[in-house]
Amino acid sequence: MNSIEYVGERLWAGNLGNAFVVLSFVAALLSFFSYYISSKDRSLLQLARFAFNLHSLAVIGIISTLFFMLFNHFFEYQYVFQHSNKEMNMKYILSCFWEGQEGSFLLWTFWNVVLGLILKRQLKNGEWESPVMTVFSLVQVFLASMILGVYVLEYKVGSNPFLLLREHPDYNNLPMLQSATYVSKLNGRGLNPLLMNYWMTIHPPTLFLGFASTLVPFAFSIAALWNKQYTKWQAMALPWTYFGILVLGVGILMGGAWAYEALSFGGFWAWDPVENASLVPWLVLVAAGHTMIINKNKGGSLFTTHFLTISSFLLVLYSTFLTRSGVLGNASVHAFTDLGMTGQLVLYVLTFILISVALLIRDDLYRISYLVISFLLLAFATFYGYKKIILMGWISASAIVTGLSYYFYFPKEKEEEELFSREFWMFLGSLVLILSALIITYFTSIPVINKLFNTDYAPPKVPVYNTWMIPFTVVLMILIGASQFLKYKKTDSRKFLKRISYSFLLALVFGTVCSIPFYFLGNFSNAGSAEKWNLVSYALLLITALFAAIANADYFITVLKGKISKSGAAIAHVGFALLMLGALISTSKKVVLSQNTAERKVSSLGEGYDDKKSILLTQGDTLPMGPYLVTYSGQRREGIDVYFKVDYLKLNKDQKPEYEFSLEPRVQDNKRMNQKAPEPDTRHYLDRDIYTHVTYAIMDMDTSAKARNAFSSAKNYIGHVGDTIFSSNAIIVIDSLRSNLSKSEYEKNDSLLEVTAVLRCVDVRSREYYAYPQFIIKRNVVIPKEDIVEELGLKLVFWKVNPEDGTIEITLSEKQGNSRDFIVMEAYVFPYINVLWLGCLIMAIGTALAIIERIRKFRLLKE
Amino acid sequence: MKKLHIVGIIVIAVAIGVIFVSLKNTSTYADFTEAISNPDKEFHVVGKLDRAQPQIYDPRVNPDEFLFSMIDNKGVMKQVVLHKSKPQDFEKSEQIVLIGKMQGDNFHANDILMKCPSKYNDGKSQIN
Repeated sequence: MNSIEYVGERLWAGNLGNAFVVLSFVAALLSFFSYYISSKDRSLLQLARFAFNLHSLAVIGIISTLFFMLFNHFFEYQYVFQHSNKEMNMKYILSCFWEGQEGSFLLWTFWNVVLGLILKRQLKNGEWESPVMTVFSLVQVFLASMILGVYVLEYKVGSNPFLLLREHPDYNNLPMLQSATYVSKLNGRGLNPLLMNYWMTIHPPTLFLGFASTLVPFAFSIAALWNKQYTKWQAMALPWTYFGILVLGVGILMGGAWAYEALSFGGFWAWDPVENASLVPWLVLVAAGHTMIINKNKGGSLFTTHFLTISSFLLVLYSTFLTRSGVLGNASVHAFTDLGMTGQLVLYVLTFILISVALLIRDDLYRISYLVISFLLLAFATFYGYKKIILMGWISASAIVTGLSYYFYFPKEKEEEELFSREFWMFLGSLVLILSALIITYFTSIPVINKLFNTDYAPPKVPVYNTWMIPFTVVLMILIGASQFLKYKKTDSRKFLKRISYSFLLALVFGTVCSIPFYFLGNFSNAGSAEKWNLVSYALLLITALFAAIANADYFITVLKGKISKSGAAIAHVGFALLMLGALISTSKKVVLSQNTAERKVSSLGEGYDDKKSILLTQGDTLPMGPYLVTYSGQRREGIDVYFKVDYLKLNKDQKPEYEFSLEPRVQDNKRMNQKAPEPDTRHYLDRDIYTHVTYAIMDMDTSAKARNAFSSAKNYIGHVGDTIFSSNAIIVIDSLRSNLSKSEYEKNDSLLEVTAVLRCVDVRSREYYAYPQFIIKRNVVIPKEDIVEELGLKLVFWKVNPEDGTIEITLSEKQGNSRDFIVMEAYVFPYINVLWLGCLIMAIGTALAIIERIRKFRLLKE
Repeated sequence: MKKLHIVGIIVIAVAIGVIFVSLKNTSTYADFTEAISNPDKEFHVVGKLDRAQPQIYDPRVNPDEFLFSMIDNKGVMKQVVLHKSKPQDFEKSEQIVLIGKMQGDNFHANDILMKCPSKYNDGKSQIN
């Protein structure tokens, strides 16, 4: 098979790319070892720096090569073939680059390199350079191995983006690849059309920069454990931690905005495993950022900060494993495809758990014992099996070791914590964040738990997450609102309570006034107990989120006197409270506009069943929908998108319908993914959004004149004079029968008999049309004579008279064009959703202000 | 540190509590036979569309009601009432996951997940 001499393959590109791939891996390894040794022997420092620079160059080399190949359509390479094509607009080239797993690993590697180079400069010649860069280099070794694509023994290590199409196991049997000149005929498959939007250009790089920035506090934390310097690192890691909080937070919210704008989840957050996988590290990073501030202002929380910074990075690794190993299977809409790297990903997570736990052990003998036992277990699991039991045993043992390390090696506070102190409340807040992160992780990991314990639990649905998360948010809101007014160490409790009581009373009054019509009037008394619990928790969240927003705004105005540079925290907390408020109101007060009028059949099935949420719109008809009158005016195709135009009208003062706006939800007829993907269309107002998406439509209607004029299959009707027949557009009454001869005349002289049926057709606008089909008997031969009503597109044939009972038989056929186009649509009102987006913006600004202030203080401290 | 210890114990208790309570209420993957013997309990049932049986979707009667039949992984066929609009591309589905419960002779689903054969993956050899 390999005897073919292929023409036109640009093998140099792949060779160049692979040279960079190997170089990046080898340089990362060299960088790791030399940085590691340089922590004791500083003579190797120059080599280590050189190796890291070399690694950075190689990574940039890989990326440039791949871009060059995408730009110039080197379709003989599988990655280029699968993710781009000739027709594609070049503005999507970035999206093509990171559509695949290999590309997204490269994006992550790239950000790590950027952050590593900045840190290397920042820490140059200091005692932190070697240990921090050792951690960076080790992470890069693992990431570089993800795109190696070599086989070690029978294990595949990494998936290589420079594989030729004919070398790839999915494609090497394609018949076209047997031709020597196949390259000249190739065109790629192109980017998935679902991803052809600006979100795909901005969301992944932001999210991956967020993931990458969790590495910085992790590296400092590990370096501190290694150097046995437990305090100094926090000041350096603090601005980076908040940088991570900002970028990862923005990345997650962008994902939510993408889902809301362009995907038909029916909202901005669906608790999808992929969303959760990025939310959990963020929650833990926020907790870490807060314990760092406690440590900075008051000391203590050493172990907690180490534990949290390490956890947030490990959780990023864990979510990489969840989303890329295929373990989620059916549980997620957008888990990546399995590239056969599950083992490698597990090894990656376990290695970093091993390193972290080992470094927490301060005693060398115990540390070495832990490492040796772990390696023995790994060897046993690899060669003898019992993988699951060993894995679970090892993780439990590591958790116990972590606990013991905390108990024996970390300094404890001697004094009892003051109840009214800022640090205590901040610590409580961090604990609530950790607890929610833990529960979300648990829910998201149910497919993993099923694999480990051979159970068959189903992943929980959205309401389950909401029900569990709201109480935690309520507690968090109280803590956020109150803790700004507390001082570190000790606060006069009376003054404090008096100070916050204004905000609290205001929130209580306003929140209660809103809650009563929102949640308690209406059908509260009829609701089931679970629903009642939800309604009460909504009201509590409303009040406490208002409290958090008002109290922080109060603190910003009265205590900080509006001084912007000091107000990062207060502003960010106002933003977070508004975000929660917007999420709460828009979700809990969501109104289904598209109520259908069908008879309700699902009440006996209990909660979760609703058969009234979508509406049928037939082209041309005007229906009432909520406060509007809606008309579906037809579909049009643009490329692969089919737009369904729906006009919204409202009755004016004179009770006449007046045009308001049109929405065009579309369905993408995605041949590449072999699916029809609906995309919503939303009308934005300041105080509400009207969100619509098409759930069912017939998209391949043949609208050509020929097809519309063809008659569909006929239906037969038997009836007497005076009976009615229904067509799709008219009522047909058998008015009378006329005959040219009387019965006796016909029986006498066997001549021509003509019977005419007079059919009166009345259309929906009460216009009358007549049809006269005839039934003719000539010398005992029956000849039916049809009649066509052109205006209505109806063909009527009168072909039988039953003399016994006086009935006649008529067949009716309709033109295809008579069956009108229709759609089934869902429409919601999301009230006050702009509060959510405003909250996001304010939170981002507040966090950015806090980072700037931290950097400024850190600079002052250094001078 | 006494207060912190109390708080720590509360946190652990809440975590265990949530896991315990949610496990009791979590729906499980099952087949029709199990769903029949536990009516009114919600299950996730995995199966394939029975193409020999009729599918009824008449949005003029109710746009949120779709009838079809599914064969579960054990080969048991049941008529399904999906209380949602008919999913686009339904005929193409390779595998179906229904979320719902038995009532009377029908399985009443409030949600459906479908796996369609994707051109994206065709000919893919799985390496395990």
